[in-house]
Amino acid sequence: MLDKYVCLEKLAARRTDEIVVTTMSVAMPWARLSDGPLDFAMVESSMGQAPPFALGLALAQPQRRVIVLNGDGSTLMCLGTLVTIAQNPPDNFTMVITENGTYEVTGNQPVPGAGRVDYEMLARGAGFAHVHTISDDGDFDAQLPLHFDGEGAQLFIWKIARTEEPVPKPLHYIRERARRLRQALTENA
Amino acid sequence: MIEASALLAEIKKNGVTHVVGVPDNGSRALYEQLWADPDIQVVLVTREGEAFALASGLYLGGAKPLVLIQNTGFFEAGDAFRGTAFNMSIPLVMIIGYRGYKSMEPGAERVDTAATFFEPTLKAWNVPYYAIHRTSESDQLSAAFSRAAATSLPAAAIYPGELI
Repeated sequence: MLDKYVCLEKLAARRTDEIVVTTMSVAMPWARLSDGPLDFAMVESSMGQAPPFALGLALAQPQRRVIVLNGDGSTLMCLGTLVTIAQNPPDNFTMVITENGTYEVTGNQPVPGAGRVDYEMLARGAGFAHVHTISDDGDFDAQLPLHFDGEGAQLFIWKIARTEEPVPKPLHYIRERARRLRQALTENA
Repeated sequence: MIEASALLAEIKKNGVTHVVGVPDNGSRALYEQLWADPDIQVVLVTREGEAFALASGLYLGGAKPLVLIQNTGFFEAGDAFRGTAFNMSIPLVMIIGYRGYKSMEPGAERVDTAATFFEPTLKAWNVPYYAIHRTSESDQLSAAFSRAAATSLPAAAIYPGELI
């Protein structure tokens, strides 16, 4: 089982100019590591919609990689989006499903199918060609570079341990976060 | 009758780069013309809520998306519309088919609630909308673009029936 805080630290240490979209129990831990214009907490938004949002960013910014960190509960809430992404997957797209089997920020209630759903099989069935399930530190370290430079759209399932993360409360309102992301992507391009 | 080619001309005039949505009988003719157009990328989604998230990402990345869906899909998309395009202040234009419009005429055998709920829902969700009932009114789509740009919020163009 992975420690998500350690995984995020390793991801942040390697990250350069990628857009990172976060959700739910990952949003605030990531914000403590990085909270610039290219870090977009998909909070105060709509649960499940981070991957299609990130897909839109990737299609509009083909020269820049977009990494979206999505929970298993969020993934289940918009499962069809795996098909939407895989129908024509952009090379600069990386999706991570952080699987802990619970809705963590509301008190770790179990998600439907916790422990029974095979997210790798779902992703492959939807059409993803590059899918990796990671459950230990050694494998994580080995596969970390693929998050940034893997050929074709990449999907990773991080098998993470449960923690007690509260409801995320970003420093900036979503409208401000959107404004500064667009500004970073369009005005300095 | 509304000619799809007239709407396509308005879409191109306004610099749209991507059309995101789900085809239906009403929009079929327009989708077919969009697929044949090399200047516009069509992105299909599995549910309409995704369309608003995807289009919001496209816009923040510098593209100019348009959402093309049916009113039933707009109902389905409620929280995604609120949480993405609206909350993020995206000047997103959507073309929404008015399914069931004729069923609201006096004497109709059966009223389609997709129609009766539609305009009240647009109003409840603070979406300004512009009706297109015939080809000559296609420039109402440009009015929706102007409104969206002026307010930096979503605006809609709505049409009944099937485009030809």
